[in-house]
Amino acid sequence: MNIVRNHVLISIDAGTLMSGARAVEDALVKEIVKQGLDKEVSVLETGSIGITGRGVILVVYPEGIYYADVTPDDVPELVEEHLLKGRPLTRLILTETPKRTIITKEKTGLLKEQPRIVLKNCGFIDPENIDEYIAAGGYEGIAKVLQTMTSEDVVAEIKSSGLLGRGGAGFPTGMKWDFAIKTPGDEKFVICNADEGEPGTFKDRLILEGDPHKLIEGMLIAGYAIHGTRGFVYIRGEYSLSIERIEKAILDARAYGLLGKNILESNFSFDIVVMKGAGAYVCGEETALIESLEGKRGHPRNKPPFPINAGLWGKPTLVNNVETLANISEIIRNGAEWYKGYGTEKCSGTKVFTILGHVATPGLVETEMGTTLKDIIFEYGGGIKNGKTFKGALVGGAAGAFLGPDMLNVKMDFVNLKEYSAALGSGAILVMNEDTDMVDMLKSVLHFFKHESCGHCVPCRLGTARLVELIDDIAASKAKKEDIDQLLEITRVMKDSSFCPLGQSVTLPVSSALKYFKNEFMSRVTS
Amino acid sequence: MTKEKTIQITIDNKTIDARPNQTILQAAREYQIYIPSLCAMEHLSSYGACRLCVVEVDGLRGFPTSCTTPVEEGMVIRTDTAEVKGLRQEVLKLLLSEHPASCLFCTEQDECKQYMGTIRKVGATTGCRYCPNDHRCELQQIAENIGLTETSYPVYYRNFPVEKYDPFYDRDYNLCILCGRCVRVCNNVRLNGTLSFKQRGRVTTIGPAFDRSHIDAGCEFCGACVTACPTGALSVKVSKWYGRPEGQVATTCNYCSAGCRLILQTTKTDVIDALPDYDSAVEHGIICVKGRFGITEYVHSPLRYGTPKEMTPAGYNDISWEEAIAKAAGKLSGLKPDDCLIVVSPQLLTEDLFVAQQFIRQVTGSEEVASSFIFDLDGDAASFINLALASEPFETIEKAQGILAVGFDSTYGYSPIGVKAKQAAQAGASLMSLNSFESNLDLLSKIAFVVNSSRWADVLDLTMSRMSKGKAEKRFADLVEMWGSDLNKTCETFSCSSHNVLIVGPGIIDSPDRGKILRSIERMKNEYSWKVVVAHQYTNLAGMFAMGACPGIKPGEMIKEASADKAVVLKAELIHIDLRKKRKLIYLIGDASFDSLPECEFLIYQNALPPQCSRQPDLILPVSLFTEASGTVISAEGRVLQVKEAVAPYMDSKPDWWILKSIAEKMGKGKMKFNDVSSIQGEIKKIIKGFPAVKKRIEFKEIEVKGNVKTHGKGKPAAWKSSYRGIPLGEVVSGIKVIELKGG
Amino acid sequence: MYRDAILKKFDPRLDNILFILHELQDNNPQHYLANADIEKCADYLNIPYSYVHGVVTFYSMFSLKPRGRYIIRLCDSPPCHLMGSESLLDYLKKKLKVDVGKTTADGVFTLEITSCLGICGVAPALMMNEEMIGNLTPERVDTVLEERRQTS
Repeated sequence: MNIVRNHVLISIDAGTLMSGARAVEDALVKEIVKQGLDKEVSVLETGSIGITGRGVILVVYPEGIYYADVTPDDVPELVEEHLLKGRPLTRLILTETPKRTIITKEKTGLLKEQPRIVLKNCGFIDPENIDEYIAAGGYEGIAKVLQTMTSEDVVAEIKSSGLLGRGGAGFPTGMKWDFAIKTPGDEKFVICNADEGEPGTFKDRLILEGDPHKLIEGMLIAGYAIHGTRGFVYIRGEYSLSIERIEKAILDARAYGLLGKNILESNFSFDIVVMKGAGAYVCGEETALIESLEGKRGHPRNKPPFPINAGLWGKPTLVNNVETLANISEIIRNGAEWYKGYGTEKCSGTKVFTILGHVATPGLVETEMGTTLKDIIFEYGGGIKNGKTFKGALVGGAAGAFLGPDMLNVKMDFVNLKEYSAALGSGAILVMNEDTDMVDMLKSVLHFFKHESCGHCVPCRLGTARLVELIDDIAASKAKKEDIDQLLEITRVMKDSSFCPLGQSVTLPVSSALKYFKNEFMSRVTS
Repeated sequence: MTKEKTIQITIDNKTIDARPNQTILQAAREYQIYIPSLCAMEHLSSYGACRLCVVEVDGLRGFPTSCTTPVEEGMVIRTDTAEVKGLRQEVLKLLLSEHPASCLFCTEQDECKQYMGTIRKVGATTGCRYCPNDHRCELQQIAENIGLTETSYPVYYRNFPVEKYDPFYDRDYNLCILCGRCVRVCNNVRLNGTLSFKQRGRVTTIGPAFDRSHIDAGCEFCGACVTACPTGALSVKVSKWYGRPEGQVATTCNYCSAGCRLILQTTKTDVIDALPDYDSAVEHGIICVKGRFGITEYVHSPLRYGTPKEMTPAGYNDISWEEAIAKAAGKLSGLKPDDCLIVVSPQLLTEDLFVAQQFIRQVTGSEEVASSFIFDLDGDAASFINLALASEPFETIEKAQGILAVGFDSTYGYSPIGVKAKQAAQAGASLMSLNSFESNLDLLSKIAFVVNSSRWADVLDLTMSRMSKGKAEKRFADLVEMWGSDLNKTCETFSCSSHNVLIVGPGIIDSPDRGKILRSIERMKNEYSWKVVVAHQYTNLAGMFAMGACPGIKPGEMIKEASADKAVVLKAELIHIDLRKKRKLIYLIGDASFDSLPECEFLIYQNALPPQCSRQPDLILPVSLFTEASGTVISAEGRVLQVKEAVAPYMDSKPDWWILKSIAEKMGKGKMKFNDVSSIQGEIKKIIKGFPAVKKRIEFKEIEVKGNVKTHGKGKPAAWKSSYRGIPLGEVVSGIKVIELKGG
Repeated sequence: MYRDAILKKFDPRLDNILFILHELQDNNPQHYLANADIEKCADYLNIPYSYVHGVVTFYSMFSLKPRGRYIIRLCDSPPCHLMGSESLLDYLKKKLKVDVGKTTADGVFTLEITSCLGICGVAPALMMNEEMIGNLTPERVDTVLEERRQTS
């Protein structure tokens, strides 16, 4: 066995691929061979490191030095300087790293150490190598479950952990599983909702790309807990790399006996298939997703019956979000008490946030529930870009709420935000600076809803159409004061009468925009 | 019967009993508690699109829709709180923001009402664009009920071109509210799949794939979508010109042997529309294009005879009934039984058939009760009748595990049977279709044999051979090659199943090889225990044989009594009707099959519409049709079904029985002292207990033919494709011509 | 008869319909679902054409119109909007001389807009066939278009 002197991790995700990560990787491997270092240095692919917008990212261990914006042309110099001569190439070093996510665990930054539960392996292991996942403690959770726990034990553990569903609604996961286990049925399904479509959200993609086995393990445990027989990962069609990675992971897991019949020589049998969406935001709604999975138009279904009673093909079906499932194995491995050590009393654990817009370093961060908006934006997001001031943020995606500067100290969790008529939603935080036209932003949000309304029910189909007409008029300063009232009235009607959460949630961005930025709207209308 | 469990709920302080699995809306409707709704429709699954049926329920958040919320014990529901009412108003306003609403909010609405029942074209009266559904529109009713008198939005007109290029109905999707009733009924009830939602969101529309016309998209024109439409988006071409209906009558369709119930919508003089009745025990509202759209144009054809007519050298002369009866009586008097041929249509009402056979037997003294049925089936009449009169009820198909449909297609007819077969196939039954063209069952069939009818007997024989694991004969080689392993698999399920149903369609009647086919069918029935359901167009064939309106069979002789379970023995020569022998007089009662008839000196034609042939009748006796007459038909299932007079007889036309008994009276022959239908029914009651209110299905004896039946020698059977009283529907109903041309 | 080969890869089950449609579209030289594709799919799954047509038109990744060699799907959701996707759309329209949903005269590019692609870290962003391209500026758009045009 060779003793490897240096590991070079190259982040392969949708973001770095578009910056030419493959070309850099090829150049790196060639150059290492050329310099005769191939016995001493190994190049490993990993998922997203959590930094976006900085091109191809490399991390060189054991030093833990991050390089950003690496191009194939930089490679010879980098190999020669750092790997051969041991002198880090300062011009490419990512300087803002210490405050970012993973890194904080290793170095003591300004903040306390950030726990990495969901993204624990992302950026550290090669997501296409099952052995690396196993070496990092992977599949210990399912082994523990199969060897020492009953289904009821598992459900009790998840219940006790206080984990709330990370899809947006924040429904207690343990309670959902409890319903599922109590629903009789010879066949039960577990669906992983990976139809991530909430604008500004890409946490699920990074998990799928960076640590697909974690998701498989989560689904396995869920399957065991509810007596499930089959699992489905429904991924939006645009996420081709995610689909590739999870499919490979499933094949590998199957080859290792971790999927299929009698898993780890137990009586538990479970298998997973990947299903691909085709571009419809509404399919993120669990019943629409099920319709789509069955091969239909993605109209949401009536509730009741809930999927847990009659879901896919009428069978009891558990639908959980990617991030929710990515928490499971860690909870099982470390126990509910450990998990509850993170986050707030009512919302335990961590949350993966995506920080976007006018911030210095857009990207994603996993932090404890209850971290303030201010900390997320200014500590992790590096503050507002180009020295501008903070004006507001759209929190939770399009179906989320606008928040103004006086909300910067709000604690970010499901329960607390609800008290402020806002929502944590998917955890997307779109930051806007002083120059932002809020009317224009709301216009963009409403156009999004109009485009994505499935058309099933009257309030949403026609409400979104009327909202767009009104906001277009307001944005073009052609509207009257009453039009603003009507805007609010339509969203109220939509909230009270729409078929599914899509139409019901339009009220959040509209009412919050008018709450915090009313003057801006008023200045566009005549009375 | 076990008493059904009930659930007590309270709606608006009123406690009512609901059934489990009911929605709040269903329970409320049963107790006449009004909750507005546009997308919910009985017999369709909950949809929850219009959101008008919102209510408040104690313990439930927000405003649940009553059409999707199941009742629960002790539920307390309020349907008319201020919040609920306000919400409904706002939702309705949104709905109307893309639906032309001048009929709702116009200041001249009241003036307009004076013109109701007419189509208002642009510029007429108060200047509106017209809506074909004005004053029949559910949206109007709901707007009135919700009390909406103005709207907050300018109406956005979507400006879709009105689609008028298909037969029977027009489509104006500018009026569509996307309630999805048409899509659901087309796909879930009719299992047809012509309609689908297209696109999504605000630009959603409804229609067939690729913007094809309905006719190209395989539409069966059953009209279920038009019936389901709550607005004027879908409108019947013919009836929309008639305006509002003033009355309605439930009756039985006379176009085939299925016996579907029709709700005829009427004005004072006209039948303007025919709607399905989803509560009917026979077809459960699954009617076909003929019943749905084929009535109005037929019964109100401009060609209809209104008065008796006599042929003169200068053409036809209108004459009085007195003259006409005297003329007919005169011509019939003094004829020997062999000199005249009287042909009775199997599409007459039971009462007419009873009188007709009495007339023939008592007035002419002949036993030759001829009918087009006997001409069509020729030497195979007896075997067909044995099959047809023993036809199993349609519900036999529901639980079938194996189904074989031969010569059967339900695109433009026999819908109740076709849809049941499709339902069974969807539920897992193995369906095999055997026809000479692609049938509408093919999509759901495991195997769809499209072969010439000369091979059908082979396919049936092959099926039987496979079921008993016999060796394949040489004559099957090409068939086996065509379907190979699928055939083995399907026959395997057939042989494992104890409930196989053979659906025999009218295709076999047209086949030159029907004798062979019928023999194979008999074997399947007798040796392989297949249950047989027969679909045919001889509407009242069962009534005809029950009444003895056929040679050699006395009234009532065919009806199976509890005690006498024997076959009726019939001499072969009786069924033989010599079509070569010239006659002095031919009298056609409700039939028009001249081309297969012998020459004659005098032709009496008792019918409603002119015949389709060169030989002009010498005397025309105008008949009132089934929409104008009362009586019964006995359906293929053996049910006695009521036919009710919906409108007064057309001009001077008379029922068949009246004409016959009047001629007999004039001639002083026979004992036909009937004054009305009920007096005839009194006579029939002697044969059939309780007639006409017979609840039980009538069962028939078999016919056993002694001797060999000679063929009548006129070659192929008359074309019977969807005709009524000898007149092809396509000649009278423009749309049917269009679809038959496409089918042919 | 590449279509038959595609169909054979899948069991004729309804839940495979999106996979089948994706493959048929990806393999269609004009990146769309022709009537023949829809009919083939429907026949294979034993379902009405209207059903498949309804499914196809529900999902925004499918197109019933022939498209260019490169399909540009510019994101117009709020995060990209904030970072200037609207002016980029104008730029693209002007540059390509086409409106949204249309294909350039030379058949190289089709311009579409899409909802969030999940690469908001590099907003404004677009998807060019399977490839994600972010941090867009008019200059970057120029380069990207030029590169594609040359390879086609």
